[in-house]
Amino acid sequence: MIVVEGLRKDFRTLTAVHDMSFTVGDGEIFGLLGPNGAGKTTTVRMLAGLISPTAGTATVNGHPLGEKTQQIRAFTGILTESPGLHEKLTARQNLAYYGRLYGMTGARLREAVERYLGVVEMSEHADRRVGGFSKGMRQKVAIARALLHEPEVIYLDEPTSGLDPSAAKTVRDFIATLRALGRSIVVCTHNLDEAERLCDRIGIMRGTLLQVDTPAGLRRHGRTATVRVELNGARGPESFVGRLAELPYVNGVQARENTLVVELTDPPHETPDLVAELVSAGARITSVVEDAQTLEEAYLSLVGEVGERDTDR
Amino acid sequence: MRLGYVWAVFAKEWRDLLSNRLLLGAVAFPALVFAAIPTGLVAFIQARDLDPNQLGQIQQYIVNFPNIPAKLAAQAFIVTNFMAYFLLIPAMVPMAIATQSVIGEKVARSLEPQLATPLEVSELLAGKTLAAALPAVTATWMVFIGYGLVNGLIADQRLTRFVFSDVWITAMLTLVPLICLLSVLLGIVISSRVNDPRTAQQIGGFVVIPIIGIAVAQFFGGNATFNMQQVLIGDLMVAGLVGITLLIGSWAFDRESILTRLT
Repeated sequence: MIVVEGLRKDFRTLTAVHDMSFTVGDGEIFGLLGPNGAGKTTTVRMLAGLISPTAGTATVNGHPLGEKTQQIRAFTGILTESPGLHEKLTARQNLAYYGRLYGMTGARLREAVERYLGVVEMSEHADRRVGGFSKGMRQKVAIARALLHEPEVIYLDEPTSGLDPSAAKTVRDFIATLRALGRSIVVCTHNLDEAERLCDRIGIMRGTLLQVDTPAGLRRHGRTATVRVELNGARGPESFVGRLAELPYVNGVQARENTLVVELTDPPHETPDLVAELVSAGARITSVVEDAQTLEEAYLSLVGEVGERDTDR
Repeated sequence: MRLGYVWAVFAKEWRDLLSNRLLLGAVAFPALVFAAIPTGLVAFIQARDLDPNQLGQIQQYIVNFPNIPAKLAAQAFIVTNFMAYFLLIPAMVPMAIATQSVIGEKVARSLEPQLATPLEVSELLAGKTLAAALPAVTATWMVFIGYGLVNGLIADQRLTRFVFSDVWITAMLTLVPLICLLSVLLGIVISSRVNDPRTAQQIGGFVVIPIIGIAVAQFFGGNATFNMQQVLIGDLMVAGLVGITLLIGSWAFDRESILTRLT
């Protein structure tokens, strides 16, 4: 589990990150989304015990940052922005080297290397020098390197960058299995689709966290949560308006042609009740769609708001 | 410092080095050249009857080798005088390896993943230093031993004794490793500032100037070789420089500097 409170990092006169507070639970995938220079890598480097924060506190699996960084690094796996492999060594030699740096030896090391070469589908290229690998192959080896020592906390910077769709899916599925094993995972990405598919919660950041929510919650950001219910039948939508308006969780109702536009507080939880209510009232429903923005729109809206504020200053 | 981690880095660097034939050539070539030139001259003199009139400039120096024939004195002068250049091997070779290693890691961006492991910066640097220094120390010692034995075989066993003198054995066991260490540390410090191994080696090339200066000065000063006092003073001076370079290196190579400036 990662608990971050008021983390800040200054590089001389530049403040890279400030007032960062969030938690990542065991078995949770937390996404960090933000433009280039937003401070994602700096945040991850601080949490991985690579650089020390200027202010604020954080604990990683109960270990306070800044005091036991070597221990933190021992149970942390990190996929850096660039694969950073040793070109003259083979894939197997690269993994074996890092295994030794994580304190693995003998049969345990050999088994881990074989297992993770298999996980990333690189067994047949294990004895080739990585200098001759494609970008995707390097990324696979780097992923294997990050997971080799079975870390409890994992930081992944653009994990599917350079991978073909099939390999990307394999990696995403594997990350999901790591979640099921109870690992705390932080994913830095520009890929909004991937963030939405993979992450339980997403933090949008630009120097600090602007918003933290589930992907669905972020899509509703800055908008009234509405559900569009399309009807088909003799009774028009206006005939249900009065009944729906009396429901405690409905904040507003409008009838438009053959559609009801219903304002709710929490669509994922309230929509089933709304549908049940309409069906019991005799409505013939053809579709129910949450009227939300895409994650991209939500992201641009949040990042844009800050950008405008920065420009105003 | 944990030796297992230093060994892991060393083994990786060594593997890297063995796969770099150009760099291996750079280790072997200067060592062989520095040994081959005087050995060739000794063989040349041995093959001919020495005419004292042909001794030319070195006539004044062979008086430093009393009680032996002029021909052998001339060979002894050549053999011992060139030995100062052996100190160029530990000055040049480790720097080439160290700069290649650090800059190679910068270019490949492989420092960050290593520092994200429990590996300490001191262990990383110790492994790299050993890997860069060991080939140079080994090459220098091998050339030194081969040089003494071969010249003794070509000309006279007394040449072997001139080579394996107390002064030169002390220099090999103390000054050579110290110069290696200084060269590696300078290579690492310079590499933290530049991104091209050739530029780093050109800057680092200045480290050989004092050694060449000493070799030339002793030639013109009429001394064929160092004495024990000079070797010990040299040890102290190089050790001092190693200390200063270590201080600069620890600043240039702390974990945060590496990650924020070098990657």
